[in-house]
Order: sequence, then structure tokens, then C-alpha cells
Amino acid sequence: METVKQRQKVVLLPWDGVKLTRKFFGKTVPAGVIVRENESHIVHHHSYGTLSRFFNELVLGRLFGRICIEKSCRAEPTWGIWLPPRVHCPDCWEEMSWVEVYTGGAKVYTHSMTNLPGAGFMLSTPCPLISVEIPGVCTKFMGYLSEFGEGEPYIGMPIKPVFRMNQPTYTILDVSWVPKD
Amino acid sequence: MIEFGAGNLRVPKLSRKVFLVGAGMTDFRKFYPEKQSTELCLEALKMAVQGMGLSPHEFRGMVNYAVYPQFADHFGDQLLAEAKIHDYLGLDPIGNVGVKTGGATGGTGANTAIMAVASGYASMVPVIGWERMDEVDTRQGNAYIASAACKDFESHLGWSYSTYYALMMCRYIYENHPNRETLAKIAQKNHNYARFSPFSQFPGDYTIDEILKAKVVSEPLTFLECCVMSVGAAALIFCDEETALTLTPHPVEVIGMGAGSHTLRTADRRNMPILLLPNETKETYRGRNLDWPGFTSFLPARFATNQAYRMAGITDPVEELHLAETHDAFTVSDIQTYEDVGFRPYGRGAEFIESGDAYLGGRLPTNLSGGLIGSMHAVGATGLFQLAEIFWQVRGEWEKIHGDERLWQKYGKTKPADFMSLQVPDARRGMAISHAGTGSHVTSIILERR
Repeated sequence: METVKQRQKVVLLPWDGVKLTRKFFGKTVPAGVIVRENESHIVHHHSYGTLSRFFNELVLGRLFGRICIEKSCRAEPTWGIWLPPRVHCPDCWEEMSWVEVYTGGAKVYTHSMTNLPGAGFMLSTPCPLISVEIPGVCTKFMGYLSEFGEGEPYIGMPIKPVFRMNQPTYTILDVSWVPKD
Repeated sequence: MIEFGAGNLRVPKLSRKVFLVGAGMTDFRKFYPEKQSTELCLEALKMAVQGMGLSPHEFRGMVNYAVYPQFADHFGDQLLAEAKIHDYLGLDPIGNVGVKTGGATGGTGANTAIMAVASGYASMVPVIGWERMDEVDTRQGNAYIASAACKDFESHLGWSYSTYYALMMCRYIYENHPNRETLAKIAQKNHNYARFSPFSQFPGDYTIDEILKAKVVSEPLTFLECCVMSVGAAALIFCDEETALTLTPHPVEVIGMGAGSHTLRTADRRNMPILLLPNETKETYRGRNLDWPGFTSFLPARFATNQAYRMAGITDPVEELHLAETHDAFTVSDIQTYEDVGFRPYGRGAEFIESGDAYLGGRLPTNLSGGLIGSMHAVGATGLFQLAEIFWQVRGEWEKIHGDERLWQKYGKTKPADFMSLQVPDARRGMAISHAGTGSHVTSIILERR
């Protein structure tokens, strides 16, 4: 007696269908060339590790950096607070210490304007990008000016930090700068 | 690193001589749906191999290592794309490596191949670089590139490198007071030279006024002062002396090379004493009271070029080099680079343009290729494109390549009625600077024709 072999089928699972691109960058895709839209929505679960405290302090309205207390590093002419903070000192590789940054003398070191940002920019434009010079800090902290008027920002402009304490983003956007006056 | 130890400043020395014997490239386009990256890489390598007078079979039988520079897997959306390219070229089972150092990826790819040959590990090494930047729109492309800035502390502040370079531009103008028009002249020069290249993406005969009044990308940088985003490929072939002399009576020797780096975050750059080039002394900067490298200089450009000059024995670059290719991602970064590599001392980069030195007919014509502003920036290919242009120049082949009607036709272009030769008379020695934003990596390579 002949047995009928049972075979399984492999089928395409329910899907949203394909989108083919006909035009991109103002140019029509040549006939016969397939340009397929490959979509992706990906979530990364990114840890700030030891630097989490920096972002937690922003929500409390405080700006924290890290400073190396090793004797040999303290003797260096460029010794100062690292802002953005680093966990380890890049010179002696020891763990640095947290310190609150006194921003009384903060001023604009240089500036530009974000007019055409890349995808994912969470702020309105135009948005002044600034590098901040702070006495006692060995870096030039990058940030943005969240209030500005005609002729601002300018190099040497006195500024002070403000913090996004309600609905924080837990990104560097939780601190911004405004004119000191 | 603030203070250098003797080991840090060691002058590189190759264990044996290394030669560039072949170069090829595709044209460069904003959108290139007609061809996949594999096809483009094959075309670039095929041009290089044909230029050497070898068949693919002859060439394949000589290869013993391969290098593949590509900036970002994000763009082509294919991890380990180099394996796919290597396979497509029929080069398995030869060993190979993918290389990534941001915008300097092409230069680092060339350095890697040179080191492979110099060490004796290999005798013939092709380097094939490419980028496919047209799968996403320009906003997403800028965000991908800005993913190579620090994502915790800087990327969110613009998702665009033009904004980060514009920061440097404001500080540069504040410290050094160049005429704004001088910066625009760099864009004018490079868009114009791109008109004479069948490979170029953004040729144009622009007035200074048009450049300064173009759409502002990031104040004060205008659209015409920023590099293009490209799709395309370039290929170089390096080999040892014995092999080189069987292929051509005029191989091009690598006489100098260097590589440097600096903090990925521009914020983290601490002040240090200026590293002096062979053409500078402490007197050059007596009384200078400005930050260095600060936001106006690129430490790795100076570090890499210092290595390359000392290795090549160059003490006066403007006199001893015959042409250069700098990484003109933005007009401001180009003027910064002139100073880093000693074409002028710090603060006086504008003189390099205003004196006419940087133009064809000047003492050191720069970016006759059209550069990144006029011709291309398919990132992984860029450093190779620069070296290919120098290779053709120092062999006196610029016009044979760029003037070839068949190439213009192949790329669907019309050779301009006012086409002129950009061949530098009697050029024998040239330098290429490959640079990653905002100066995180730089390579410097000096070539000389035998």
C-alpha cells in the first residue's frame, strides 16, 4: 500500500508589505533598478555606568565633574576638573573623585549655530552651540544656550547653567546655559 | 598626553622600501542606485590593475594581503562588508583586514598596507575603500556621521559635524582675523578644480559672493563651504621594490608617513606647548599667547606630518613638496590644516591662499583633485582618492586620466569646453592628509616618483 508523505510548508508570516523607492535625493530611480525600503526601529539599552551620577545630579540642579587627587597629577599645569566627567584619570589611570563645579566665572569660549541639525535632534532651531570656559575646569564643556538675543552668543559672554529638573531627558540636554544677567 | 617621551617622537622607519604602483577609482555621486558597493569596488580596483598592464588573473596571483577601509557599517547596513567585497573580487583565501578611523579611514587603510609590505609580511597589497552614503536621507546621514562624536556628551547637541566645525571657525576668526572672503576662496578654488575631473560630484564656477550668500548650514559655514556626501570607491596597490620594478620603471615610493590622534571630544583638549615642525623654531612662536591646540589647530595633523617630514627629510614643505591634497571637509578645517602641516605658521594660514601658493602655478598647488568640497567624500575612499590623484600627478599622467573623453562619457558627463590641464609641471613629490572629525585621527603620507 502506498503511503502519502506528509510535507510541511514554510510561508511568509503576516507582514506590512514592501515599499519600493521611486525617487530619492530628487532623482528618479532608473528603470529596472530595485531600491527597496529596509526599515529599522531599534532600541539600545545604554548604561552611563559610573557616570550615571553626573546625569542624576543634573536632575537635582547640580553640575558635577571629576578631579584627580593623585599627587603627580596635581602638579601638572593643566590639572583641573574634567567636565564632561571621566571615571579614570587619563594620565595616572587612577579613579578620580566627584566634585561640584562652581560656575560663577563661566563664559562662552566659542560658539556656532545649529540651523540644519541631523536626524534625532531634540531641540528647536536655531540653537546656539557653545563651548564653555570655566575657571578650575581643564576642558571646554560643550553645551547649548537656551535663551539668546540679538548679537548673542559672543566669545567671552558671561553665562550660567540651568537644569531640566522636570521631565529630564537623561541626556546632556538636561543642562543648558543662559546669559548671566 | 601633554609631555612627549622619546618613544612618542620616534621617527618612523620602514624595514624595506614600499611603492605605490597602481591607482583607480569610480566617479562619485550623491545617489548611485545603478550599482552596489561590490560593483563599485571592483571597478576601482580593475582600473588600477589595468593601469599596471596586468590581467585580473596575473594580479590575483601576486596578491598576498588586502586592506579594506570603510567608515561606517551604518551607511551600507552590512556588517563585515569587507568580507563581501574581498569575496566579490575573487581574492579568497588571501588574508585581509577592515580598517576604521572615521574620516581618516582611507589614509589609515593606506598606512596599514604600507606597513604590511614594509614589514616583509606581504609583497603586494591592494587597498580598496568605499562608502555608500545614499541609503538614508541627508539628515540621517549627518546623524550617522555624528554618531562618531561622543554620543554621551556631544552628539545630541547637533547631530551634525558642520555645527562642531563651525565652533572652531568662530574661534579661528576671533583669534586670527582672516578675511571671511579668504575662507570662501578655498571653496571657490576646489569647486572650480572639480570642473576638470570626470570623477567629481560637485563642480562649479562660483563667485565669492555666491559662496558667502549660499544657504547657511551652521553659522557661519555655508552650504558651498562644506564637503559633499558621496557614493563611490577608490583603490591603490602597494608593493615591495622587487615587485614594483617588474611592473613599472617609474614606481612611486612612500618616503614619509605618519599617524596621529586626539580626544574624540573636542571639549577634552588640554593646552600644551606647540610641537615644532622641522621648519619652525621656538622663535617662530615667541610672544604667542593663545591656546594650543585649542579649537583652532589639529594636534594629530601636526603630529602625523611631523613624523612624515622627518622620515622624508623635508625641512621646507612649501619648497620641497610639489603638490598636496588636504582634507578640506570644511573651508575652516582646511585653513587650520595649512598651519598644522607648516605651509604657514600658526595664525597665518590665510597667506597660503592669498599668496597664490595653493593654486596651480603657485608654489604648492593644493587639492587640484577638487577635494572633498568639489569632488567627493565617500569617506572610506577619500584618503585613497587623494593618494591616487597624487600618484597620477607625480607620474605626469593627470591629463591622460582626467582628459580621457571615454571616462567623461562613461559617467554620463560632458567634458567642459574650457577643459584645462591641471598637471603640475615636473611634479615628483606630493603629500596627502587624511583627517577624521574634529581632528580625532589624521594620517600623512608623502609620495615621490622614482
